[in-house]
Amino acid sequence: MSIELLLALITGAALFGVGIYGALSQTNLVMIMMGVELILAGAMVNLLAFWRYLHPDNPAGQMFVLIIMTVMAIEMAVGFGVAIARFRAKGSVEMEEATELKG
Amino acid sequence: MNLIAIAILAPLVAAVLILLLRRAPAALSLLGTVIGLIASIGLLTNAFAGVAGALTLPGLPDMPLLLVATPLTALLSTLVAVVCIFVMIYAVGYMKKDDEKVRFSATLLLFAAAMQTLVLAGDWILLLAAWELIGLSSYLLIGFWYRRPGVTSAATRAFMVTRSADLGLYIAVFILIATTGSSDIATTLNMGGSAAIVAGLLLLVAAMGKSAQTPLHDWLQRAMAGPTPVSALLHSATLVAAGAILLIRTAPMLPAETLLVIGIVGGITTVVTGLIALGENDLKRLLAASTSSQYGLMLLAVGAGVPLAALLHLIAHAAIKSALFLGAGVFQHSRDGTTFGKLEGAGRDQPRIFFGFALAALALAGIPPLSGFFSKDAIIAASLASSDAWLLASFALAGTLLTGAYMARALSILWHGDRQKRSIPGLGWMGAGLAGLVTLAVILGAFFPSIETLLRASLAEDENTLAQILGLSAALSGLALGWFISGERLLGPLLPWSQRGFAVAGGMDNLLVRPAFAIARRCEKLERSLYTGVLAVGRLGLNIGRGARFGDERGIDGLIFALVRGTINLGNRARTLQSGLIHREMAITVVGAALIFAILFIPLLFF
Repeated sequence: MSIELLLALITGAALFGVGIYGALSQTNLVMIMMGVELILAGAMVNLLAFWRYLHPDNPAGQMFVLIIMTVMAIEMAVGFGVAIARFRAKGSVEMEEATELKG
Repeated sequence: MNLIAIAILAPLVAAVLILLLRRAPAALSLLGTVIGLIASIGLLTNAFAGVAGALTLPGLPDMPLLLVATPLTALLSTLVAVVCIFVMIYAVGYMKKDDEKVRFSATLLLFAAAMQTLVLAGDWILLLAAWELIGLSSYLLIGFWYRRPGVTSAATRAFMVTRSADLGLYIAVFILIATTGSSDIATTLNMGGSAAIVAGLLLLVAAMGKSAQTPLHDWLQRAMAGPTPVSALLHSATLVAAGAILLIRTAPMLPAETLLVIGIVGGITTVVTGLIALGENDLKRLLAASTSSQYGLMLLAVGAGVPLAALLHLIAHAAIKSALFLGAGVFQHSRDGTTFGKLEGAGRDQPRIFFGFALAALALAGIPPLSGFFSKDAIIAASLASSDAWLLASFALAGTLLTGAYMARALSILWHGDRQKRSIPGLGWMGAGLAGLVTLAVILGAFFPSIETLLRASLAEDENTLAQILGLSAALSGLALGWFISGERLLGPLLPWSQRGFAVAGGMDNLLVRPAFAIARRCEKLERSLYTGVLAVGRLGLNIGRGARFGDERGIDGLIFALVRGTINLGNRARTLQSGLIHREMAITVVGAALIFAILFIPLLFF
């Protein structure tokens, strides 16, 4: 295993850890979504690293990452839409206060 | 409105008003009786004018309820109303200290209304109903002071005795209606033959019960437990009179055999109860025994075939006996009791009352020109003229003698003794009632000829002089005996017998009441066993039901409810996971993912 791959994997793991920490520690919906973006970014870094250093001739890895980015964009659009709607309705996007859907 | 209806309804309406308003019982009862009296007098004047009133009410099919105002019934109705009004006036004073004037006045008025119905009834069904009503209301009145010892038993005894005798009336009425096919009294009077004998004897039984004839006389003396106005009313023109009135009204129907039995029963009664009165130790009980005795004389007159004489004596006796009772009531208030031990000399306390009492007593004994003389004379003349003259006349004369003796005895005890002056509340009202009745008792004799013309009947005049001499001498010698010799000495060896009521009551108790009680107890036992049987069946059903319910509740319902409860619990558990808090759920996701990761990859590290 080359040292580049190891560095890329460490970067991906760090991104993933920061993302999880952010998603769990933040109470603001926007910040939580940013944590989720970081998690996904960590995953994409891992994928790209494995593609680039192990199977550079196979384009499926690249395709995977492109699809993930598309999904991320859609997720962002939906998430921010929810956040704006909630802000307009309640005047805040603090998730500790959002318990209306509690069963 | 029909006068008959007014005569009956006025007291009834007054009674209802008193019960509803619960105030002014004295004024309302006086008003009711006065209106009734006016209506009765109207009926009587109509009867004198030859107009007979009648009122037909719908009753059973083909048997309408009739009320008729013939001369006889109008006369009796007036008599009842007159006595009622004086007794009501007296009762205002007598009940002045009593707390339950409302109940008293209402019951008395109910009684008056029932009696008017009885007197005016024109058919047997209505007469039966009224007969029962006076029995009921007399029970209520005798038992008025039901808290005092012995009163309820006296009332029950009166009710039971008259009620048992009433069975005779029921059967008699049944025979009469079945034989003639009509319930109209006037129609049934035309019947004859053996049915008439049987019906007549049964009517006699009913009359014996109500008029307290031997051997059914015992209840009347015990009925003295009621208030004195009640005694006065019951004994003069109403309850006790009902028996005699029944026989007087049915007299045209009665065949000779029945008449003889009636005469003998009346004769025995007048002697037996006269002897009881002579040995009595209580003024009111003496008067009660005397009532039986006088009604015995009336039955004797009916038996002798002259119901008119009986009617005249009934009228005279009504005024006299109620006056005597009212006087006795005053003495009772002045000495707090009616035993002769307490009453010695009570006449001297209230000389005016005593004067009225003595006048009434002399009238009852038959001293001219008081009313009792004429009626008693008529009875003695009737008994002399009858076919069994020696028997009936000797009974009648013995009865007259005894009447004089016991009345003189009462007067003598009331007069001889120490004075005790005491003020009596309500003496004015009582005196007014008494004065009115004494006046009637004195002057009624003058009206007898007009009554005779009213009824279009006259008394036999043949042996009148003989009857007058015999009757007067019997009355005078009786009075003399009673005044100078004490009743105890007069009776001699008969005294213990007389004080025990000639053991008639005891005999009745042993012969009839004990077996009746035994039957009643047997019936009760049978009923109890039946009852327990029924109860056991019921309990079995209950237990089956309870078992079924248990199976239902614990078995089927329990299963279903357990399922429901389990589902609900599961739901509750599951719900706690759904907190709606993003962080918690995210944390759970992370932990879950970490667990999956560990499960998937840790084995890879080892193998």
